[in-house]
Amino acid sequence: MPAVLEARSITKRFPGVTALRDVSFDLQPGEIHALCGENGAGKSTLIKLLSGLHPHGSYEGELFLGGAPAEFHSVADAQQAGLAVIYQELALVNELTVGENLFLGCEPRRGLLIDWDLLWRESGALLARVGLDVAPDTPVSELGVGSQQLVEIAKALGKNARVLILDEPTAALAEHEVEILLNLLRDLRRRGIACIYISHKLDEVFAVADRITVLRDGATITTLPTPQTSRADVIRAMVGREITELFPRHASHPGDVLFAVENLSASATRGGSARLHEISFNVRAGEVLGIGGLMGAGRTELLMHLFGAFGQRLAGNVQLCGRPFDPVTPVDALAAGLALVSEDRKRYGLVLAESIGFNLSLSSITRLRRGALIDEEREAHANQGLFGSLRVKAPSLETVVGTLSGGNQQKVVLGKALMTEPCVVFLDEPTRGIDVGAKIEVYTLVNALTAQGKAVVLVSSELPELMGMSDRILMLHDGRVGGEFARGNFTQEALMHAAMGQYEMTNA
Amino acid sequence: MKSKLTLRDFSLLLSLLAIGGFFAIAAPQFLSARNLSMLAVELAITATLALGMLLVILPGHIDLSVGSGVGLMGGIACVLIINHGWPAWAALAASIVVALVLWMAMGALIVRQRIPAFIITLGGLLVFKGVFWLVIRSHTIPVVPGGSTNLYSLLTTYYFPPLASGVLVTLVFAGLLVLNLRARRRRASLGFAVDDREVAFLKLFVTAQGLLLFVLTVNQFRGIPLPVVILGVIAMVMQIITRHTPFGRHLYAIGGNEEAAFVSGVPVQRTVIGAFTLLGGIVGITGLMQTAYAGATTTTVGDSMELDAIAACVIGGTSLRGGRGTVLGVIFGALIMASLLNGMTLLSVAPEMKFIVRGVVLTLAVWMDVKLAKR
Repeated sequence: MPAVLEARSITKRFPGVTALRDVSFDLQPGEIHALCGENGAGKSTLIKLLSGLHPHGSYEGELFLGGAPAEFHSVADAQQAGLAVIYQELALVNELTVGENLFLGCEPRRGLLIDWDLLWRESGALLARVGLDVAPDTPVSELGVGSQQLVEIAKALGKNARVLILDEPTAALAEHEVEILLNLLRDLRRRGIACIYISHKLDEVFAVADRITVLRDGATITTLPTPQTSRADVIRAMVGREITELFPRHASHPGDVLFAVENLSASATRGGSARLHEISFNVRAGEVLGIGGLMGAGRTELLMHLFGAFGQRLAGNVQLCGRPFDPVTPVDALAAGLALVSEDRKRYGLVLAESIGFNLSLSSITRLRRGALIDEEREAHANQGLFGSLRVKAPSLETVVGTLSGGNQQKVVLGKALMTEPCVVFLDEPTRGIDVGAKIEVYTLVNALTAQGKAVVLVSSELPELMGMSDRILMLHDGRVGGEFARGNFTQEALMHAAMGQYEMTNA
Repeated sequence: MKSKLTLRDFSLLLSLLAIGGFFAIAAPQFLSARNLSMLAVELAITATLALGMLLVILPGHIDLSVGSGVGLMGGIACVLIINHGWPAWAALAASIVVALVLWMAMGALIVRQRIPAFIITLGGLLVFKGVFWLVIRSHTIPVVPGGSTNLYSLLTTYYFPPLASGVLVTLVFAGLLVLNLRARRRRASLGFAVDDREVAFLKLFVTAQGLLLFVLTVNQFRGIPLPVVILGVIAMVMQIITRHTPFGRHLYAIGGNEEAAFVSGVPVQRTVIGAFTLLGGIVGITGLMQTAYAGATTTTVGDSMELDAIAACVIGGTSLRGGRGTVLGVIFGALIMASLLNGMTLLSVAPEMKFIVRGVVLTLAVWMDVKLAKR
């Protein structure tokens, strides 16, 4: 029998990077096929290609549907062909009812008007197929995340989807909701609906998938039949990369504890449920603490919370330089000597329409005053100092930041943090999306900071970077500490086990 | 790198000349000393309010209530003077204090309760209008009891005598010259781009010509009107606030990228409340000037002034999304709006047409700005 969906020798290039290299993948009728891989392995790119988001012609290679060549020029083409993607971020309109959502954009009509009778009847039938017991006229906003996901699947079934693609579907689900979802997928499999299942959670993958394909660095590494495979095989295939890059981390001589976190729990919103659970760690002067974990493990939330920019503290003690520390806003954090470089420099890092100088001094401008006015000479000198020492490649301090390359933008964000003269620095994915030369400069800067006796917390998705630059590594899993490793005990397998919640703490 | 003058720099000046030229031909009295003096007062009132508006548009907010506020603040002062016998200075001060408090409260509601400024100030527009009419009991109340003068009425009727006017303008120009040269020297010493010598000279020359023409013209009537001096002082303060204080820097940062500003340690809430409070003070001052100019408070004082203020900002190159806008641009924008209104009044254009023309000009200005910005 021909594959429902097949991708043959797909190569997808973005300016400067090859996201997929000669990737082949097939989905058999009535199969649940899991896609595994580290962050940035190419899973999302592959999905975007299958769903028509990267249209035909923007990549090399071929797609086949039921054995026949297929060309998706748009998302609509892919939907027409029976492919439905259910993203982590659900695409439902909260203010509308379940029924209205199910038929959004293809409402049944009688003449010019919506045929409400038909809509409610059909909605009821679709909801029954996914086993969701709610009235079709319930507003979506009244449903939990798990139920909303079932609505999404019902919506896909309503469009006669033959292939469901689920991207991290259980990231936000409670345990019993996960069980309901997995049962539904098994049920749909019996009715001939195939499914591509992307998840970092190996337990689920092994519970539901027939085969597992592992992607790494944009290439298919292997496709394994689940019954003949162990979790260790999958993890090995995911991380098998050699550490070839040069990390100039010097031996460190850690001093006093500068930053200590004890049993920290925090929620995203006031009164919400905990997003971070009982996290403890500390960082010493002159030390780099690496924090790793998979997407959604809570790394960014942890840093942003400690910086006063995210969430609500539920429990725990935090000390900065021996003093209790509970910043309400980043203003407090910066004043106490903590600086943060955000992972998303365009959103949280820069005012893109303004100049390099404006951005560099933004966090320090209240201190660069003479009386009520800005001391423009002192500001210019401070700016010029960092502009030079960070070697930002731009014509002048007055160049608009939005016109710079990623690496140079990142240097400006780093410079802004450094100008506040912090004693503890949080770096969240400081090398994301910048070229190798700029990466090395960031690493050198980290070394310089620790040499000055500052403490650095480095969050990174790239294990080699984390292992190369950290003195200790803390792996997060699902908002909890999954494991902590001293420099001698770094192995990619051990770290990945901890990131997937498979690490026995007794090994530490 | 040397900076060059762009078409954008000239577009405002050219539009202004076109408008002035048109009215000069269509209504010769447009260029009379008397009318230009009136125009200067009207400009001062519009521009003052628009500069206040700039403060809240820069961080990406808006204020629809300033028109009602203008009426209310002028009305409060009139009632205190005429009905309660307060001395003029106390009544004026009371009005400004009330405005400061009201606008601080609106700013606090906007940032602390996260209600969009559009809604809060739309509410303000209606509430202040109602309170205004209650305060003056929908009557017409003069700014000063029959025929005499007081501080309030002098706001728009006092003129600096010709000699004093000449000295004042000379001092202003000398000040500009010194500041300009100093800034230029400092920028050069820090290695920043400075205008070409010719361009710098041309700018100063045009400024000098403009000031000279202005003072010669108004001196043919009665001299420089007080509101123009008030505008001058407010413009100078605004220039310092927006360009030379951390507060001003923060306004631009919040408008440019509020999330980045927050994470960078900008006290977003305090800054926005501060901007609204300052705007309140300016609404107070504008309300007093506008009511004094009308001679009395009536139910229509301040009507649709919020729209002229917003239009002046936008025509002057201020982005309604925040993060972009300058004091000089806003003054030019206000000059265009004030000239249009003044000229149309001279031509006895029907009120219906006045609204339409203002709307078309505003739309054209934004369209042109979008077009020019793309290149």
